[in-house]
Amino acid sequence: MADSNVMCGLVVHPKYLDYDLGDRHPFSPLRIQMVTELLTELGHKLKFETPEVVPPEKLEIIHDPEYIEVVEKAGKGIEAENFEQYGLGTADNPVKTGMAESARYIAGGTLHGAKLLLEGKFNKVLQFGGGFHHARKNLAAGFCLYNDLALAIKEMTLHGWHVAYLDIDVHHGDGVQELFYDDDKVMTISLHESGEFLFPGTGWIYESGKGMGRSLKLNLPLEPFTEGDSYIFVLEKLLDEALSYFKPDALIVQAGADPHFSDPLADLMLTTNDFEKIYKIILQKTDAYAKGKVMFTFGGGYSLVATARIWSLLYLVLTGSGIPDKLPVAWKQKWEERLGIKISDSFHDPNPSYNPIPRKEEITNHNKDMLRRLLDMVTPDWL
Amino acid sequence: MLVQEIIHKEPVTISPDTKLFAAYELMLKKNIRHLPVLENGKLVGIITDRDLRSATSKLAEVPFQPEDEVGKIMVKNVITVHPKDPIDVAAKLMRENKIGCLPVMENDALVGIVTISDMLDALLKLTGVHRPSGRLEINLSDKPGELAKLAQHLAERKVNIHSILTYPAVNGKIRIVLRISTIDIRGIAQGLCNAGFEVIWPTQMSCAD
Repeated sequence: MADSNVMCGLVVHPKYLDYDLGDRHPFSPLRIQMVTELLTELGHKLKFETPEVVPPEKLEIIHDPEYIEVVEKAGKGIEAENFEQYGLGTADNPVKTGMAESARYIAGGTLHGAKLLLEGKFNKVLQFGGGFHHARKNLAAGFCLYNDLALAIKEMTLHGWHVAYLDIDVHHGDGVQELFYDDDKVMTISLHESGEFLFPGTGWIYESGKGMGRSLKLNLPLEPFTEGDSYIFVLEKLLDEALSYFKPDALIVQAGADPHFSDPLADLMLTTNDFEKIYKIILQKTDAYAKGKVMFTFGGGYSLVATARIWSLLYLVLTGSGIPDKLPVAWKQKWEERLGIKISDSFHDPNPSYNPIPRKEEITNHNKDMLRRLLDMVTPDWL
Repeated sequence: MLVQEIIHKEPVTISPDTKLFAAYELMLKKNIRHLPVLENGKLVGIITDRDLRSATSKLAEVPFQPEDEVGKIMVKNVITVHPKDPIDVAAKLMRENKIGCLPVMENDALVGIVTISDMLDALLKLTGVHRPSGRLEINLSDKPGELAKLAQHLAERKVNIHSILTYPAVNGKIRIVLRISTIDIRGIAQGLCNAGFEVIWPTQMSCAD
């Protein structure tokens, strides 16, 4: 088996697993373990870069000091009356001991990934965690505390790089968009299920940036039950238009696995075959327009087995490895027992994976219209 | 929501002897369409950009001239509102009289104006997304305690309600559109479905766990 590190820098730290918001919470650290074990069972020798933890004060480049203080206290089990003001102590962001420190290790990982790109040590990086795109300047939201993506992007822009951020998580990348809304060094591109139907409710095409960042924040809200062919059509067109104009020095991808058809939190219909195509398209566009430099992070993904298969696929595509037909038997057996569910034998989803979508044509046309309107709105500013 | 919450204070005003060309220039400069007319501090009329254009149009029988005074063409019986009027009263007045602006009067003094643009801003405030949240749509029976049950259900799950919008549904029920502080909207919807609520969004929910 090929040495993974020649192709792609891998980043993880054991502390990532402490980002555990409870047994019944959807954002499970098991996903990291499942991916790592699946790839190992497939015979891949994963050589990880170990990141350093980000000290709280270094987060002040992204977050308000008061917010950091409250999150750090919460992570040490110190009660505060104003948790709710900061989005803490809610169903989505419960207060758990160790969560703040773990979030800083994860932020350290994404930051480390950015440094690997900056130093030219790797052209491709896969961060085995992170992608906390909902975290705001002073608000925890949607399972996110510290915005690791923004921290990494900021580091790169401070080195003079132009960065394109691509968010394929099924939810709008609202936190990252907001933090760079008027920044001309950062283009953000988010494809997501429309905010009319899905959290966080934003991500409309008219949210296109302001000031120096005008027409550099791109949102493509998609219809519920959008399938792979429609998704891939609009993604490829949008990337061609946007990246050929912006010509970033690197691409940062929040690679949430929750647009998968089986995801319990959302309504898009991508299959693993679609994800494989999507990853390959992103790599092509990286080579064509982004100097071949890209970092992928994890993100959402709440169907555990599908998410493990999707992110393993991401690794395999990034390292140019072959994609197996079957899941390793030992892995399948272990996780069937552990999760108490039946896991299919095959690595990819079956074809077809779900019943035909009755509104397919209407959905496809709607998504095309949305892309057309988005481009009509922003491209006149791209001189 | 009251008029005083969406009011434009310190509106730009003119007097009856202001020349038409000056009123026109003022509208262009300030990018506004309505000018209340004051005389000795009292509201005596109002003119709109449309009044100005109609009065001076070449197509008019006897077009007014740029040097004519506003007093000659202004609308004198002005329809107004009070700051404590609800905005739906203001909206109704605008629709029924086909006008785009209402001077706001308190103690016989002009304290501001509301325009159709302010009404649209109010609509955005009522329906908009002000915090990251998921959308939940429920049909409630039109009887006491239904909303309380719904709110209790959410409170027990530590889910905060950011906004509530209601309107009459087709089947005599009340449609409730909530924006709530969770990304896991389906888990909540399933619980509500099991508890007997008619969930409209997210769709394709089966009650069974």
